[in-house]
Amino acid sequence: MSGRIINWIDRRFPFTSFIRDELTGYPTPRNLSYWWNFGFLAGFVLVLQVATGIFLAMHYKADVAHAFDSIQHIMRDVNYGWLLRYMHATGASAFFFVIFIHMARTLYYGSYRAPRELLWWTGQGLLLMLMATAFMGYLLPWGQMSFWGATVITNLFRATPVFGEQVVIWLRGDYSVGDATLNRFYALHYLFPFLIIGAVVIHLVALHAVKSSNPSGIDLKAKDNIPFHPYFTSKDLFGLGVFLIFFCVVVFFVPDSLSEPANSIPANPLQTPNHIVPEWYFLPFYAILRSVPNMVGGVVAMGLSVMMFAFMPALDRSSIPGGARYRPIYRVLFYLFVIDMVVLGYVGYQPPAGTIVVIGQLATIGYFAYFVLIFGLSKVEERWLVKRGLPPDVQALINAEALAKSSRA
Amino acid sequence: MKKFTLLLVVTCLALLGMSALADMSTVQIATDTATLGRGADSMMTNCRSCHSLKYVRYRDLTSIGIPKPKIDEWRGSESVDNPMLAVLADKDALQSFGIVPPDLSLITKARDGGMNYLYAYLLGYHNTSNGSVDNLIYPGTKMPDALGISSATTAAQLVDIHGKARDVTSFLAWAADPHAKERIRMGYYVLAYLVLLTSLLYLVKRMVWARLSTSDDHLTSWKK
Repeated sequence: MSGRIINWIDRRFPFTSFIRDELTGYPTPRNLSYWWNFGFLAGFVLVLQVATGIFLAMHYKADVAHAFDSIQHIMRDVNYGWLLRYMHATGASAFFFVIFIHMARTLYYGSYRAPRELLWWTGQGLLLMLMATAFMGYLLPWGQMSFWGATVITNLFRATPVFGEQVVIWLRGDYSVGDATLNRFYALHYLFPFLIIGAVVIHLVALHAVKSSNPSGIDLKAKDNIPFHPYFTSKDLFGLGVFLIFFCVVVFFVPDSLSEPANSIPANPLQTPNHIVPEWYFLPFYAILRSVPNMVGGVVAMGLSVMMFAFMPALDRSSIPGGARYRPIYRVLFYLFVIDMVVLGYVGYQPPAGTIVVIGQLATIGYFAYFVLIFGLSKVEERWLVKRGLPPDVQALINAEALAKSSRA
Repeated sequence: MKKFTLLLVVTCLALLGMSALADMSTVQIATDTATLGRGADSMMTNCRSCHSLKYVRYRDLTSIGIPKPKIDEWRGSESVDNPMLAVLADKDALQSFGIVPPDLSLITKARDGGMNYLYAYLLGYHNTSNGSVDNLIYPGTKMPDALGISSATTAAQLVDIHGKARDVTSFLAWAADPHAKERIRMGYYVLAYLVLLTSLLYLVKRMVWARLSTSDDHLTSWKK
């Protein structure tokens, strides 16, 4: 009976073949390390955010007179409301944490290179949407940091040529951040996750066209690909378990560790907090913004710092496989870049005074220097490596896979 | 990529360090009925004349084991479902102090240092050289020395005031996060479950991957 139903469906819709080709039988390189788990984890966190968010929305009130109170209502009176909210708030941080690792893996292994440029660019689009969603969501608790964070960031759009003033008013729906702003941010915070889901589908379509990269950086022959199920379903589920352990430690034991104390004070437009800081995941970009003395320059630098990743396929001209793994110069640059990000994050958290400003400016130069150096050095490094000869194990792999293109290198 | 893992761990530790910047003595709060009862009592006698606790209803006090007659005494003619508001009206507070004393429902979350801030602030009053009383933690505060530490003279008084400060801090920590005890208790069960589940998932992964033959696996030679 069920066979007949499936047959009936399959003649009208590619049900069985879709599951076989794209889910269970989807060919996946057998040598993927645990760094390849983070895409799946990002998908999981997205679902978690949507699921908790919908239930929070049932109790939240987007009104400047009630928003802060409704959060307290959720935290105190709604059954397990505290659990929903702590999961949602921690989930936002977890999302960025997972995405940053996902991106770091792509940079380290050079997974952005041909033919995966569109996969990388759709990911870049997802990052921007994620940032917008997180930023708008942060206004909703209507605490001091919510209000002043939104005020500072919307103010940046004054840098728009000619229409600066109008753009800021258009974004806020008012002359200052107020009820209109809260309402539109809430509406968009509810809309964006669904746009993100759509963009994830596009990201996955791109992935399934070019298939996963792998640590060797060489496209493996069919015999080295294994079906996604049960090999990677079991591996991803184990990774999910490890992720959930860390996630639940934060949710149940230190849920307030990532929130600013000032956000437990209701928004007050007449009183500026001594120290306005964004959430941790925006700190490096915020530090870049503040490091440029000129406002327009700062906004441009910040925008560029987020968008620089999109240029990687063009900047990295090396054809040595395996990304940082077989490329000593690129590897050093990668680690310097990660350290630079951490320094920028620290600078973004500190009040901008004294040496902090200088460190921030140096780190900002370092940030952009990474991309320039990759452009300058990738070809030099490639010539040097070819002359020196690739490590024997890489050469052996290339020979085994007998890929004419790679064996040239 | 091992270095990257190390970097991640260092970063996380640095972030934790940043959140613990406050340079204050730490207070060990308690969650037992006796402490919370004394803290609530202190709050009612020392704080509530000026400060509200608007996100806590009188009824909520029963959940920390405060006896009903006591609650009835505190609420007077107010309904048990009413929030615990200050005795002093905002208008009068403005006239006397120039500001409305802050609501205390979230006070242990709303300051850098959290509970430690509150504890250190309550005990931070001292006599200045010009004969007035000031606070070490918040110089120029409008609030008077409610627990009277600046006028304490004997060791016994000091011990008593430190105890009171700890009781009030414990009570207000409960008021800021009334489900904390339940949350932490549930957390242990959740983690125990997840550790067990993840161990099993690891075994499943191992069993599934054991099916792959490794004899002709030229990929393993360079696998880290």
